[in-house]
Amino acid sequence: MGRTWSSMDEFEAFLDGGGIVEVDDDMPDAYRTAVFAFIEMHANSELMGGLTERDWIPRTPGLRHKMSVLAKTQDEIGHGHLLYMVAADLGLKTRREMLEDLFAGKSKFHNVFHYRAKTWGDQVAISFLVDAAALASQQAVFKNCSYGPYRRILKRIIAEEGFHMRMGEERMLLIAEGTEFQRRMFQQSIDDWWWPALQLFGPDSKPDDVLLRWHIKSERNEVLRARWVQKFAPMLASYGFTVPDPGLTHDPETDTWTAGPIDWEPLKRTLAQGGPDSARRIGEAAANWDATRWVRDALDEAPDRAAGVPA
Amino acid sequence: MTAPWNDGIREFVLAFADDEHLMGQQHAEWIGVAPFLEEDLAFCSIGQDELGHAASLYALVAGEGDGGEVDDRAIDALAFDSDPTRWRSCHLVEMPTPDWAHALVRHWLYDAAEELRWQLVAESALEPLAEAAIRADREEWFHRRHADGLLDVLLSDPEAGPRLQAALVDLLPIAVGLFAPVAGEAAAVDADVAAAPFDTRLPVWANRIRDRFAIDAIVPGVDAACSGRTIRSEHFEPMLSRMREVLVLDPAAVW
Repeated sequence: MGRTWSSMDEFEAFLDGGGIVEVDDDMPDAYRTAVFAFIEMHANSELMGGLTERDWIPRTPGLRHKMSVLAKTQDEIGHGHLLYMVAADLGLKTRREMLEDLFAGKSKFHNVFHYRAKTWGDQVAISFLVDAAALASQQAVFKNCSYGPYRRILKRIIAEEGFHMRMGEERMLLIAEGTEFQRRMFQQSIDDWWWPALQLFGPDSKPDDVLLRWHIKSERNEVLRARWVQKFAPMLASYGFTVPDPGLTHDPETDTWTAGPIDWEPLKRTLAQGGPDSARRIGEAAANWDATRWVRDALDEAPDRAAGVPA
Repeated sequence: MTAPWNDGIREFVLAFADDEHLMGQQHAEWIGVAPFLEEDLAFCSIGQDELGHAASLYALVAGEGDGGEVDDRAIDALAFDSDPTRWRSCHLVEMPTPDWAHALVRHWLYDAAEELRWQLVAESALEPLAEAAIRADREEWFHRRHADGLLDVLLSDPEAGPRLQAALVDLLPIAVGLFAPVAGEAAAVDADVAAAPFDTRLPVWANRIRDRFAIDAIVPGVDAACSGRTIRSEHFEPMLSRMREVLVLDPAAVW
């Protein structure tokens, strides 16, 4: 057993002083639960993101390009793999329990992966807009995260996500400088993915958000969201694309871009597993999980078989 | 010394490239839906390796024996060719395997044969092909170890074992087509691009199957109907259409 704290006040003072919590510390249950839920959702999102992208891998237009896209999806699933281990070490659920909860629709994953990539333009938009939003969130967590194992894993995840975003940016540039057909396709993808990507940051952080108080997150949702708009609104405009936000404003004095009013209903629907592609995404994953159960069962029983224990 | 190159050698290398490409494509279908996360990652890595081998081999074809300066467009012109008569893939790599038992057994059968195939060109007079064989050999060792590691455990399981044996029975008549020669193989052997015809290695592969699956499997001979690898299976056209789905949207586009 690692360190203990006699009260929540003492624990919070430790966190406020830049303290890093390790897995064998006797952390308060509320902290353990909060950090577990946060990492579980991150892990689920990496896995479901991989499933969103995998639909288009066989259709990737180029052999070496296909290798890159495969490697990217492998990274995403690999992030899930690492994060599930970090979450499982907290002792609240095993990896299998987390996966079974996910496939039963009992646990959450990011709103964007409740949408379907309908075109190749969507695949590029995910890599460009969505990965950038996820990266911004992860960087903000990494900066000052109080849970040590998560912070260390994030270092690797952020490095790889940076490559993904650059890959998306390169592909976006090819499209931006491409044919009229490509530009029309990508404009439709921006129309479809701008708001879900922006909503990924979530509504404004509440004043009593424990994730902020316990330094699991270090920046408020609205700050991260505003920074993302500030980067991507002008970038898309500079390539001749339109941001589908009639309320988007630009202050030339400060060169600040500000999003218009945000409709949070689509986000709420995804949180209730009611997004446009939630049923298919979860249903297919659950069916596949069930179809491959025989493999996991056989591997689970292998040690007993080897030891001669009767079935 | 000029590298040996003629239409026969071209067809010989192209058939190898097509098999590697479509095998990589099939493995890629398992990303995210394998039985557990480690398998998602393993199939994905193996798929990338096979696609990488295919890219090297297509580059050799596009560069008429020297793939060093070949760009991706020339590779893709071969890898996404819309003309089915151009292709020389074997039927094993054209078929989908929606069941993981079939995917694993195919993985084992293919890689057991692939090792023998690379060995035949390991000292090729076509030096870039011999160099590719050395690189591939390092990767293929891991592929075989992966498939064997799973089969070591699963074949003795009362439920998994019969599933895998049934998959073997299904796949074996199709898998043997891996050894079907293209017409150009004779030219490749004549020019010392390959040490011997691939089907001379069929008995070694058959023995490995018997050892691995502990059954007295009857490995059929190479089907005369597949000879020359000029006949595409029923699965080929849907697969090629899927691979070309984005490319055909706008022929002028660069993605």
